[in-house]
Amino acid sequence: MSEKLLELKNVTIKFGGVTALNEVNFHVNRGEICALIGPNGAGKTTVFNVVTGVYPLTSGEITFKGVNLAGLKRHQVTKSGLARTFQNVRLFGDMTALENVITATDVHKKTGLLRALIGTPLNRKEERESKERAHELLALMGIDHRADQLAKNLPYGDQRRLEIARALGTEPELLLLDEPAAGFNPAEKVELANLIKKIRDKGYTVLLIEHDMSLIMGISDRVAVLDFGQKIADDLPTVVQNDPRVIEAYLGVPADAS
Amino acid sequence: MANLTRFNLRDKGAEIWAGWSRPVRTVFVLAFIVLIGLMPFAASWGPTSFLNTPITSFQNVLVYPVGMFIMMALGLNIVVGKSGLLDLGYVAFFAIGAYSQGILSTLYGWNTWEVMPFGIGFAMLAGVILGLPALRLRGDYLAIITLGFGEIVRIVAINLSVTGGPNGIPGIPNPPSVFGLHFDLMHPETFFWLVFAMILLVIWMVRRFTIRRPGRAWEAIRQDEDVAALMGVNTLVYKLWSFVIGAAVGGAAGVLYASKVMVISPDMFKFDVSILILACVVFGGIGNIWGVVLGAGILAYMPERIRFISDARQLVFGLVLIIMMNMRPDGLLPRKKREKITEKGAK
Ligand SMILES: Nc1ncnc2c1ncn2[C@@H]1O[C@H](COP(=O)(O)OP(=O)(O)OP(=O)(O)O)[C@@H](O)[C@H]1O
Ligand SMILES: [Mg+2]
Repeated sequence: MSEKLLELKNVTIKFGGVTALNEVNFHVNRGEICALIGPNGAGKTTVFNVVTGVYPLTSGEITFKGVNLAGLKRHQVTKSGLARTFQNVRLFGDMTALENVITATDVHKKTGLLRALIGTPLNRKEERESKERAHELLALMGIDHRADQLAKNLPYGDQRRLEIARALGTEPELLLLDEPAAGFNPAEKVELANLIKKIRDKGYTVLLIEHDMSLIMGISDRVAVLDFGQKIADDLPTVVQNDPRVIEAYLGVPADAS
Repeated sequence: MANLTRFNLRDKGAEIWAGWSRPVRTVFVLAFIVLIGLMPFAASWGPTSFLNTPITSFQNVLVYPVGMFIMMALGLNIVVGKSGLLDLGYVAFFAIGAYSQGILSTLYGWNTWEVMPFGIGFAMLAGVILGLPALRLRGDYLAIITLGFGEIVRIVAINLSVTGGPNGIPGIPNPPSVFGLHFDLMHPETFFWLVFAMILLVIWMVRRFTIRRPGRAWEAIRQDEDVAALMGVNTLVYKLWSFVIGAAVGGAAGVLYASKVMVISPDMFKFDVSILILACVVFGGIGNIWGVVLGAGILAYMPERIRFISDARQLVFGLVLIIMMNMRPDGLLPRKKREKITEKGAK
């Protein structure tokens, strides 16, 4: 059996009266591409937010690599091997593309203020490594020619690609992608799908939120479906596709017409 | 005017600098340092004698307010400009440095050089004590807490006997001579060189931080603190460091100031000093070292130069500020449009 990299147990999140997630049980296996789908407002982004420590749990438990994430600060969660992108692009706009990625690679570096001030050999080695790694990741995403441009000046599609490069900069074991193909044309979507597969083949595990069914069906090993904060399906793409409950959630037709 | 607002002297300068070879740069820097070192004599040399200030002698003006303000503005810039934390009580660290010098020298006979590390240390400690709780808050709240802290330090100084109460501390000794340089009333130029050396040290330090990991962390925090945290930046620690380093610079300036003026009292450390330093930072170009130096230099010097119009002085000062900020809202030398936060050498 494959290892459960990330596991949500009975996770409930309430915002005042709104229950964004209701007793959700869900996991991601190491090495897979898992898709998380559902209608607007189903709670998909909330899953990312709660996993990365942005929102506190109302109840339940989240483990990553078997370790409970409760009580970890956001940067500690990232350091432990989880990185994400944002549904609405949130780059460091006034930094260059390269600097965006380098900032993320810093998470595993030893250089603190003193080493940076003195400029120790270790510091210089780390700076060099960061820069090399950042270029590698930009090249992987096909945007190395943008390295020296300010993030805010990049075309929209490249901003989305840069977000992925930056998340990869933290050397995550699990990569969380929140609608990475939003606003892409069909050709770009195919390209992105291939990239995600390539990223998985490099050893990363991917949890993907996406609305485009054809993209998901093409690359996912497993699909989980959320609706009104509840998980209503979790299976192979072909099975989920034909699940009447999923179809109902998407089409909005009540199961029982009475 | 539209051209004036868009033209970025900072970028132009960086371009020229980038075109120079190493020896050319070294010569330029050395020449520049020598030139600044000669500043105290500018007022007594014909062509530059227009720089002379009425009332206070030019050499003294160069030390205080000009040198001191540049140093403090550089310190505050680490906090406000680099990591985007609005600190309205920066004068508190200046006061802590000054009172360290005042108390340790008059009561225990320590000289300035001995007090310096302690003055800096106390200011940093105060930075931690204030920063740990305050830096968990955002924007407006932080501004209000720091503002309160600035006032608390002053009020404590008024009410303690060891600080001399409202009268302050008189008879603070000048620094002892080093390398044949005498620091006393007769030698304001040596004070200037001392302040200048410390300013260079601060600039060197800030530049190192800026192009390496701490600078990136601060920049990320300034632009989007939540995303910075999610990309693995330990935001609280880096915010605290920027706060504490800023405090250290303020403390060092305070120690120096007290040993220059020889008398300190609580009314020297009022809220308006914090605001004036912040104005220097914003006026010069928040986030850019050279802008901050220029801004602080001008804002500190100008009121002294136009002292002869006594009553209208503040009015003119305010007008200049308003006009300038309208023409160049990002300051005289704005933050680099292309902020360089990785090293050239690290290929
Ligand atoms: N910070 C918050 N405060 C209050 N309610 C919130 C908050 N964040 C999310 N919600 C609510 O939780 C529910 C789920 O939101 P979420 O953003 O997770 O949806 P989603 O599945 O990502 O939708 P979309 O496809 O539109 O991105 C929504 O009803 C939303 O209004
Ligand atoms: Mg969403």
